[in-house]
Amino acid sequence: MMTALMIAIVVLGGSAGDVFITKGMKQVGEISTVHPRKLISIAARVVTNVSFLIGVFFMACSFFAFLAVLSWADLSFVLPATSLSFVITTLGAKFILNEQITRLRLAGTVLVCLGVALISLP
Amino acid sequence: MKTAVVLVIAIVAQALGNVYLTKAMKSVTSGGGDVLTTAMRAASDPMVWLGTALLIVFFALYSAALSWADLSFVLPATAFGYVLNVAAGHYFLNETVTHARWAGSVVITLGVFLVSRSGARTVTQAASLRPDASEISR
Repeated sequence: MMTALMIAIVVLGGSAGDVFITKGMKQVGEISTVHPRKLISIAARVVTNVSFLIGVFFMACSFFAFLAVLSWADLSFVLPATSLSFVITTLGAKFILNEQITRLRLAGTVLVCLGVALISLP
Repeated sequence: MKTAVVLVIAIVAQALGNVYLTKAMKSVTSGGGDVLTTAMRAASDPMVWLGTALLIVFFALYSAALSWADLSFVLPATAFGYVLNVAAGHYFLNETVTHARWAGSVVITLGVFLVSRSGARTVTQAASLRPDASEISR
């Protein structure tokens, strides 16, 4: 039960974080340099972006729940179980970021769900 | 190509980071004690910092990729790390990985592959058409 609750926090926090971070990074714009000084100025713009910071907050919640659950559960069980976030994040990408979800993508998402079910077997 | 290079480094860093964190957290909690003691022990364990540093590398590269690619492309692409993570748990942490878990990992990767095929094309084409797309390889 505790494991399920923690995985729920990992998944929901991760999905919300992904959506907000994508929003923020799209506002910052494409990173197309490896020049250190330019990268530093880009990093400064990234860490002051509100959407990005909200995303990081959700990611942090997700990360600490992940750390906690790893102290008593196997990595090779926890990690595949968190793949549920693909479905949730895909929904977020569709309804919040207005990305297109084609039939192929839907099929892939169903396969991911199947994989998660397989891994959850005792 | 830029996306591929960035995401491959990200995936490897993530798998290694997860292995170190699991190793560290298992040893941190094996001594017992209250929450504060455990937290202090975790904060003073170099392996916790190494694992966290590797996950920060992953996160920086992942965010960078999101600045030019769709979330619906980057997310499935990084999921190829799932099998790498299960394998790492098996080989480095001696965790028991059942046939069902191996099969599940493979099915997840297959699903993720389909998802990435559905949207990656337009994104990667648009990205590769830009003249600065290969700058990372310089």
